[in-house]
Amino acid sequence: MINSILRFSAIFILLILFQVLVLNHIQFSGFVNPYVYIMIVLLLPSLTPSWVVLIISFLSGLVIDLFSGSPGMHASATLLAGFSRQYVLRIISPRDGYESGSDLSMAAYGFRWFFIYAAVIVLIHHTALFFLEVFRFTDFFRTIFRVLLSSFFTLGFILLISYYRKGR
Amino acid sequence: MRNLLNFLLKYNNLIVFLILEGIAFYWLAAGNSYHNSRMVKGTQGVTRGMEERLSNIRYFLNLREVNETLASENNALRNRLEQFTGQDNVRFISVSDSQFIQQYQYTSARVINNSVNKQKNFFTVNKGNRQGIKVDMAVADGKNVAGVIVSCSENFSIAISLLNLDFRLSARIKSNGYFGSLNWDGRNYRHAVLNEIPQHINVVIGDTIETTGYSAIFPEGMLVGKVSDLKKSGSDFYKITIELFTDFRNLQYVDVIGNLKRTEQLGLENQLQ
Repeated sequence: MINSILRFSAIFILLILFQVLVLNHIQFSGFVNPYVYIMIVLLLPSLTPSWVVLIISFLSGLVIDLFSGSPGMHASATLLAGFSRQYVLRIISPRDGYESGSDLSMAAYGFRWFFIYAAVIVLIHHTALFFLEVFRFTDFFRTIFRVLLSSFFTLGFILLISYYRKGR
Repeated sequence: MRNLLNFLLKYNNLIVFLILEGIAFYWLAAGNSYHNSRMVKGTQGVTRGMEERLSNIRYFLNLREVNETLASENNALRNRLEQFTGQDNVRFISVSDSQFIQQYQYTSARVINNSVNKQKNFFTVNKGNRQGIKVDMAVADGKNVAGVIVSCSENFSIAISLLNLDFRLSARIKSNGYFGSLNWDGRNYRHAVLNEIPQHINVVIGDTIETTGYSAIFPEGMLVGKVSDLKKSGSDFYKITIELFTDFRNLQYVDVIGNLKRTEQLGLENQLQ
């Protein structure tokens, strides 16, 4: 228990630092901003109580907001992703259920499952985030295009990191 | 109390979510002036939109009376105007009977049946013989041509719409006075075709087309539409497409125009034939 909390804190800090110090300074053509910190919500163990998931996701969004000077945006988007996590998990649950206490990682449940899981959460998060950023529905398809492009890159980063963790 | 607790326990997830999301949104609105102004504007937009809709409804409910007073007022003014302009001819006609000075008599009427989607369109107006409407009177929508009365009963009349393949109108180009025959080609209710304008004449897109008054039905100079497209076909004439000023889909109040001197004009013209 303590072990997993410590490990998770390390993941939390590493991902936040990675996001704030590296990814926030990458601008691919103004359209693409990968937000890999959403992995925090993805990787929380399956038996975490849902209110803990909510609070952790809110906190991670809050920290990102503080660093990137966008009050409330990441917090609400990440919170929404954290809220929908339990429903996503219920819908795409593997045949023999989730092992209690295990990580929701690619190593534990395979590439296909992890890909779907990550893609759904990332899409929810990015849609909320980008629409909160522009805060209007004019130029709807432009925003959707930005959502899709950034989700693609975020997903790429997440899969790369997962492969690295799996191989280790 | 127990129920309430059960409820809270059951939806604790949702409640935590809503509280935190509320905090996030409050932060979003407080921290970003852009989001703040858009939220304020959004809520104002909702209330203002509702007020506007309400006042629109109120306005709409009064519309019938407003229209009727406007139409009758318009009518009286037109009749008055005709009396004044007619008096220019005072040295030709020494009789002071208004029937002889005035050439056109306007009566307002309401369109109660109308179509634009057939090839031969007619519309019905709510006045007939009893109100002084006769066959071959012109029907106008304000200053714009709409049709010609073809049949009357005691209280109703049927008019042939400009949007009828059988309708012919003598029309001319306002800028240079060349006239041709206007009819509808049966395709688009917004467009008609002007024929018999020879190709050596300079026609520009946007030119206004008006009536000639040769037929003794329409007064001279009523508006028809403006040139929207012109083609030089193989013959010597242009094929001019005209965008009509009258919106036949939205024909509500029309003026029926009687030419008081029509019989006189036609009688004179028939003597020569």
